[in-house]
Amino acid sequence: MTIRTTRTGTARAAATARRGRYGAPAVLLAPFLLLFTACTLVPIGYAVRLSLFTERHSGLGFGGTETVFTGLGNYTRALEDEAYREGFLTIARYCLLYIPLMAGFALVLALLLDSALTRAKRFFQLALFIPHAVPGIIAALIWMYLYTPGISPVLDALETLGTQPDPLGNPLPAVVNMALWQWTGYNMVIFYAALQAIPREVLEAAVVDGAGPLRTALSIKIPLIKPSLAMVGLFTVIGSLQLFTEPMILHGTAPGVVSTWTPNMYAYTAAFERGDYGLAAASSVLLALAAALLSFAVTRATRSRSDRRKEAAA
Amino acid sequence: MRSLVPSRRRALRAAATATAAALCVSLLAACGSDAKSSAGADDGKPVTLTFWGWAKGTKEVVAAFNAGHPNIQITFEEIPAGNAGGYAKLSNAVKAGNAPDVFNVEYPQLPDFVSQGAVQDISKLVGADLKARYLPQATELTSLGGRTWALPLDAAPQAFYYRKDLFEKAGITAPKTWDEFRTAAQKLKTAQPDARIATFFPDDPTTFEAMAWQNGARWFTAADDAWKADLTGPETKKVSAYWQQLIDEDLVHVQPSFSQQWTASLQKGETAGYLGASWGGGVLKSNLGTTPDINGKWAVAPMPTWDGNPASGMLGGTTFAVSKDSKKAKAAVEFATWATTTADGFKARIASGTSSAFPAATELVPVAKQAFNTDFYGGQDLYAVFPDAARSIKPGWTWGPVMGLTNGSLKDSFGKVAGRTGTIDDALAAAQQATLAEFKNRGLKVAQ
Repeated sequence: MTIRTTRTGTARAAATARRGRYGAPAVLLAPFLLLFTACTLVPIGYAVRLSLFTERHSGLGFGGTETVFTGLGNYTRALEDEAYREGFLTIARYCLLYIPLMAGFALVLALLLDSALTRAKRFFQLALFIPHAVPGIIAALIWMYLYTPGISPVLDALETLGTQPDPLGNPLPAVVNMALWQWTGYNMVIFYAALQAIPREVLEAAVVDGAGPLRTALSIKIPLIKPSLAMVGLFTVIGSLQLFTEPMILHGTAPGVVSTWTPNMYAYTAAFERGDYGLAAASSVLLALAAALLSFAVTRATRSRSDRRKEAAA
Repeated sequence: MRSLVPSRRRALRAAATATAAALCVSLLAACGSDAKSSAGADDGKPVTLTFWGWAKGTKEVVAAFNAGHPNIQITFEEIPAGNAGGYAKLSNAVKAGNAPDVFNVEYPQLPDFVSQGAVQDISKLVGADLKARYLPQATELTSLGGRTWALPLDAAPQAFYYRKDLFEKAGITAPKTWDEFRTAAQKLKTAQPDARIATFFPDDPTTFEAMAWQNGARWFTAADDAWKADLTGPETKKVSAYWQQLIDEDLVHVQPSFSQQWTASLQKGETAGYLGASWGGGVLKSNLGTTPDINGKWAVAPMPTWDGNPASGMLGGTTFAVSKDSKKAKAAVEFATWATTTADGFKARIASGTSSAFPAATELVPVAKQAFNTDFYGGQDLYAVFPDAARSIKPGWTWGPVMGLTNGSLKDSFGKVAGRTGTIDDALAAAQQATLAEFKNRGLKVAQ
């Protein structure tokens, strides 16, 4: 910022001050607002508009289509469709299996890294994080290869041991496994960062009071990183709602992964297999609403008690 | 630490991100469309056509066409096979207004594309003499509601490919009837316990549909300006019962079509046969031709039939369609005519070595025969088997107007057949119901 000296009157000075106050934020915010409008608000608006219309045919249907307003017709059609509702159940089952496993693994790994016992911390941190650097679609393709009987070296090895694993026949654990591989390291880093931020004197006090490493982890460390746990939980739930890439890759090979396995796949199928863009838009909007509601609920439920006290006092 | 505490604003932003991502599907449709120039050939400049397709050998065909046609130049873009994402890409492009001028679409999906307003009526550009050059069963599938919508590239009669050496070892020959086929399947399994005679493709209902067609089923009829769907008639039930038994008795593999799993199983000799169509010969050859110990050991035979007399359905088969908004329909039809009916056009495709398409313009059979390298089949002439099969394609079959949905529904429930939690008949009943519901939803007239 440069300071300008001016000989003009107070009115002009005030205007300059105003410009100074609003000018910089406006300039700095403009790129964000522009992109936000173009890439988020406009598409959402377009999707909402699409979701209110449907295409009607007549006779044999070869005479062209007519776009008609249906109001909430597409929404009721999506909600009435068992396949769509089933998609949300799939997500629920997925979350129940995935979140405890992922959070558990990530937490244990982070605690191990944080404990004084671990050697080669940097190496393990990096090694555990690397899977996250692999793009999701590539990871899914690699896993599909490892899941396919007849070509997978892992399954071959397991078969020689006398077991008959069939990951493609059990798509839910198969998808959970992919997600675990990809996200455990990432979330471990978040937990680890939180653990590192715990004041050392608290830990020292615990040691002085005679707490062993396990006791310290359970009674001091975990309670102190609860906010991180809550945040990881929130992001994971929202991420899970959008589950698409992994099951879409499996869709071709795992017969159990139907074309409407998750709500996102339902929208995709509606648009590109059935050509029903209204239904696709409506189911996407519903999914977005579900994500918004869920994140609101999770934030509410996991807010720390002190936050709530503060609010009550205010 | 502080910055990691979730705040309400953070949650809101997360929600906004989620919203944006969830809407991606719809967003795709909104992506910009290029304004197309409508320059014709009148100004002396060559017409440039965009063309999307995936049929084997297409690149070679386009190169040959461009070399011989200075006034029309084709820009070819290879897209994924229709059911592997190509149709999604196409319908998306149509919706966004940036569809190619001409594209490949298979017979089953043509009515769906026409019905969605993606295809241009080319009746005026296709004369009776041109139509007469194609196999009638093929033109029947490209004429809908009395108008012509596409030019057929190949008729796709069914064919049975098998490993001669494995069959000999098991003491069997190519079965002529479906009864013989089951006996052969049993013998093969006894001789080589890990081998099966063929595969049920849970991801590809069209193979099953061709079987039903072969038995005289007609899933869709368009009469008196109204649709009728009949996926559960006696002709279909006979086929479904037969296949259900093969699956239940573990006489066929259940694997996705053209998957790595299927290919690996063919390479290892654990799958000794493939119930496919004319074009499958080229696919097998290009998938397996590099495996030296099975090269030359494959053979082709007519499809087994129910009564021993030649009969065939049609499995896939590709057409050339002009997109609705293309201003270059005339040039597009000229290209499609060249690619489907001229010796040069067909030779370029077959000589690519990857295609064994059976020309819908049957006078080109000798051309295809000459251009096809038969080493993979130990010198056997595929084109000696196809013509009889093509003639025996049962006429009168019509594909439905919501085939994307019908096949999608079948695919989903064939998955249950693979997982042994459902039957083929369950799948057919579910698809029938879903199809009728979609007729109603789209406002199509349904015969009572």
